[in-house]
Amino acid sequence: MKGVLVKDLYIAGSNILVTIVSLIVLGLGLSFLLETSALLVLAPVASTTAAFISITSDAASKWNKNVITMPVSREQIIGEKFLLYILLAVLGIMTALIPCVVLACFGEDITLHSLCLYGSIGISATLLAGGISLPCAYLFDPEKSQIVFMMSFMASTGIITGLVLLANLVFSVKENTILTFNIVLVISVI
Amino acid sequence: MKLTNAFMVSGLTKTYQDFILDHVSFTVPDGSIVGLIGENGAGKSTTINAALGLIQKEEGTVSILGREELDRDIKEQIGVVFDGSNYPELLSPRKLNRVMKNIYRFWDEQKYWGLLKQFSLPSDKQIKQFSKGMKMKLAISVAFSHHSRLLILDEATCGLDPVVRDDILDMLLGFVQDEEHSILVSSHITSDLEKIADYIVFIHEGKVVFEKTKDELIERFGIIRCGSTQFGALDKSDIISYRRMGYEWQILVSDRKRIQKKYSKALVVPATIDEIMLLYVKGEKS
Repeated sequence: MKGVLVKDLYIAGSNILVTIVSLIVLGLGLSFLLETSALLVLAPVASTTAAFISITSDAASKWNKNVITMPVSREQIIGEKFLLYILLAVLGIMTALIPCVVLACFGEDITLHSLCLYGSIGISATLLAGGISLPCAYLFDPEKSQIVFMMSFMASTGIITGLVLLANLVFSVKENTILTFNIVLVISVI
Repeated sequence: MKLTNAFMVSGLTKTYQDFILDHVSFTVPDGSIVGLIGENGAGKSTTINAALGLIQKEEGTVSILGREELDRDIKEQIGVVFDGSNYPELLSPRKLNRVMKNIYRFWDEQKYWGLLKQFSLPSDKQIKQFSKGMKMKLAISVAFSHHSRLLILDEATCGLDPVVRDDILDMLLGFVQDEEHSILVSSHITSDLEKIADYIVFIHEGKVVFEKTKDELIERFGIIRCGSTQFGALDKSDIISYRRMGYEWQILVSDRKRIQKKYSKALVVPATIDEIMLLYVKGEKS
């Protein structure tokens, strides 16, 4: 599995660099308009697009066909894509934390509460979207899976909204935002 | 010494809406090069894909290096080269080396770099900047660098210029100098196979038409070139297939020398694999 992951990291390499720089610049720029920690919602979503690019690149270069003849199982090939996706999501979160930390050092009001809230929303949305789009990338052709990839983020937003509304039936979401989104995060991880 | 088969397919069957791979059976003996020939769409790639588990077969068995299950150990020992691009084009040969050494347990870096040097392939240039010939040389270098015992090449020499093809054929001949090494090469460029193959398997419309040694094909098969009168006088049981080319009749026969004796006035010439294939595909059966 390591070899396949190395291959994907090479392919994602240039995209990752662009994403990291964009997120840092965006984070610093956002500080004039709204809470920088809100970047944690966007960051994992933006960084995981590299996983999707690697899937379409595999299809275009016939790597999918070639790798099956190599000593790598199908389970390892698919498992590696999920691993890459999670790694990229974590990288996105870490990157988004950089401007937050920098601005906090310069006296910006960035609370742990907002970091946890936006962080859990971002990771939940990313994991739910990945759970939908990654299997579809193997089921559909590149054009269709590109549409599914975009739709998956809308679907994950819908799922999160549904979960929040459900939680609101049990307790007040407004008074327990962190608890609510942590529950959503646990469900997304599962 | 007991002769064993590096590759064996038996009764391989796969049905598509408009094509049937119909109980295909043939073998690749150890230490030999087997050429799988046939026109485009005859079933060569389907056979290879089904044998390698790239598509689901309906019937039949496949044995690779003595094992029916294509597990990790077997995959370590086979090198597969497909037509066109085989690797992500954003990678360079240097990056590909790092990928491959994490995939193959017996990846031989020294051999890989040696082959890149031999082929004059740049190590830091992205594969997308390579010509088709360079991409093919790279794919063959990879296949050679993990101590493969069996090479499977699917239309690997198609679209390459004669000089590059000749380089690749030389490499393949070098590979089978080791008696434990074998090659299955599918191609519709029969002249390449005439140079290197020990056996020829001819597939037509999803069925194996024949599996013969190349020497038998070259030495025994022949073509009678004659006019209508001579054609009419021939014993039809001597004819495999025939076709009319203007005023000339071309008749494929399986025993050139016997036919020459039988019809001493007939012009019987040796048949190339290309001609044999053409007459089987386009000729009429007697």
